[in-house]
Amino acid sequence: MRKFCVYGKGGIGKSTIVSNIAAALAENGETIMVMGCDPKSDMTRNLVGKRLPTVLDLFRTEGPDRMKLDDVVFKGFNGVHCIEAGGPEPGVGCAGRGVITAVDMLDRIGVFDDIKPDTVIYDVLGDVVCGGFAMPLRQGLADDVYIVTTCDPMAIYAANNICKCIKRFADRGAVTLGGIIYNGRSVVDEPSIIDGFAARLGTKVLGRVPMSILIPRAELHRKTVIEYVPDSEIADTFRYLATAICENEDRVMPDPLSDDELDGINEEIEVLLREREETGSNLTGDV
Amino acid sequence: MDGGKFFGAFRASSGITDAVVLNHVPVGCNWGAAIFKTTSNQFDMRHACTVMHEREIVFGGEDALREALIRADELYDTPILLVIAGDAPSIIGDDVGAVVNSVTLDAEVMWMEAAGFKGSMRDGYEEALTHLAGLMNESDMIENSVNLIGFSPDDFKVDADVKEIKRLLRDAGVEVNSVISKCSLEQFKKAPAAELNVVLGQGSKLAEHMKIEFGVPYLEMEYPYGLEGTTQLTSAISEELGTGHEPEFDIEPFKKVYLYLHELYGTPVSIIGDFHAEAMANFLNWELGFNVEVSARNVDDYFEFEEGVRNSNTTILFGSSFEQNIARTLDIPLIRFCYPVFDNVCVYDDAPYAGFRGAVCLTEAIINTVMSYG
Ligand SMILES: Nc1ncnc2c1ncn2[C@@H]1O[C@H](COP(=O)(O)OP(=O)(O)OP(=O)(O)O)[C@@H](O)[C@H]1O
Ligand SMILES: [Mg+2]
Repeated sequence: MRKFCVYGKGGIGKSTIVSNIAAALAENGETIMVMGCDPKSDMTRNLVGKRLPTVLDLFRTEGPDRMKLDDVVFKGFNGVHCIEAGGPEPGVGCAGRGVITAVDMLDRIGVFDDIKPDTVIYDVLGDVVCGGFAMPLRQGLADDVYIVTTCDPMAIYAANNICKCIKRFADRGAVTLGGIIYNGRSVVDEPSIIDGFAARLGTKVLGRVPMSILIPRAELHRKTVIEYVPDSEIADTFRYLATAICENEDRVMPDPLSDDELDGINEEIEVLLREREETGSNLTGDV
Repeated sequence: MDGGKFFGAFRASSGITDAVVLNHVPVGCNWGAAIFKTTSNQFDMRHACTVMHEREIVFGGEDALREALIRADELYDTPILLVIAGDAPSIIGDDVGAVVNSVTLDAEVMWMEAAGFKGSMRDGYEEALTHLAGLMNESDMIENSVNLIGFSPDDFKVDADVKEIKRLLRDAGVEVNSVISKCSLEQFKKAPAAELNVVLGQGSKLAEHMKIEFGVPYLEMEYPYGLEGTTQLTSAISEELGTGHEPEFDIEPFKKVYLYLHELYGTPVSIIGDFHAEAMANFLNWELGFNVEVSARNVDDYFEFEEGVRNSNTTILFGSSFEQNIARTLDIPLIRFCYPVFDNVCVYDDAPYAGFRGAVCLTEAIINTVMSYG
């Protein structure tokens, strides 16, 4: 069983990427399972076409003992098994504890033994704000992590923080970094900057997702681009990315950048931004 | 071992003897607080709990609290519900005040935040009392009356000790107005009527607060163990109030066991506890002539205390039920005198440890323990 999780700053494209690569992998007839670890529970929407009841919804209404597998696992496009952990309403309770509880519940009802997925993908809330959201980084849950970033200082900063978190768990023999996924929906679309960032972390960029109007369009129809425009270039991009991740064997313990190094990247972006503004060129590249 | 702020707040609050304490905590904290209290008074079940479970941690405990408030109000005939929010709601950020304000109940409701990790048991006690002082009313001063501050309803020997101290003060022409915290809500409310506050070991924040709010001066004294400790207490109060009373005590009972006491002179002992420990150590040291080898407070490092005792010649240990293990390991007797005591009962309210009678009872207990051990 291949298990990995996708992290990255809030709104960076994690859910889009996870749902699309799940749909792509399932095209090959593999058993794929995705789990959204975010109280917004919106990752599986594009796979199932609607919002799903979550593990924690059930935990809340039925309690831990009456929960059944069919109540929390739903089949989406291409037969992808979809689970949403769920969480409390914004502003109350403890969402981090929620992730831990949801994972416990799934274990209890034997989801992995029953479904025997070939691949499990976790989509985790934007920033690793507390121990709960680091849960998938512990051994057993995932093998490696893929971090999504755009070419924006704040996204890079968040990615670097996630690397620090991976490193924190390192001595427990846990999860490693599999690589970076670049999303071209950036203030300046400059992949080379992210290549450089990845190299400094000791890893590489496994795939580039360009900015594409087809992504929000598919989303409006509650679909992945794999389902909505299967023959498009952007659908193929996700297929390549999915294969690249599954075949990836390079896993590293990242070497997070210092604040000074991050400032350096920040300046590079600033210079580029100014240049492009002056020449009036398309800031975000071609759509 | 210190119970942390939650336990302190619980003990102070449950000292309002007709209040119902509603603990907003997981079941473990509630059970601990309850069991230490009910050992010696099994009818005293004036507390309820929201019993936070994982569901309340993840989704917030506000609904559970609202429900518990409504139910407690239905189930108990009480003038006041005291809500104590412990560690869990504090970590997840339950808005306890908003929940309390959202319900209309027969009973008055007061709530306080007391996360165990935010301070010691002592801090919890002090803060809770100061908070509860909001219930007090300006009252006409009753001459030659005092409040005794520093008690908790689950202190070992509390009933007997209070009774003895009251007796001694009555002999000295002083009435006890309120015992804090071991009195009814009515008595608590009229605490400002006292001419003087007497702080016995803890509760000085409340005394300071009452001095500012109600102009009641206060005196800080050690817990009255032994003849010396007792005399100091009654003399200081008499002097402060100007009642001109000379304390007399009876040393006849001690004469009867003089030979034993003589034999025990120089006995090495160790002691641990809350503020009671300091006063007890003085009694053992100065009056019985024991050698106090290690004297520690609850907030001190327990491991260090254990090490200290192990490396000493200690032959009697003074503490709480928590010291059972170390006493057993070292095969020495343990004399329980300090919270929490959950493996002994004290139901007879004429066998105190405080005051003159207390000195006799303590001496008797010590001699008997030594004679029957081994
Ligand atoms: N390459 C892209 N081209 C066009 N739109 C994109 C692209 N990547 C992401 N988006 C859009 O950005 C929005 C945010 O993406 P998504 O929900 O996948 O991010 P997320 O990282 O999961 O966010 P959150 O942290 O809030 O869960 C979506 O509306 C998505 O359609
Ligand atoms: Mg998302």
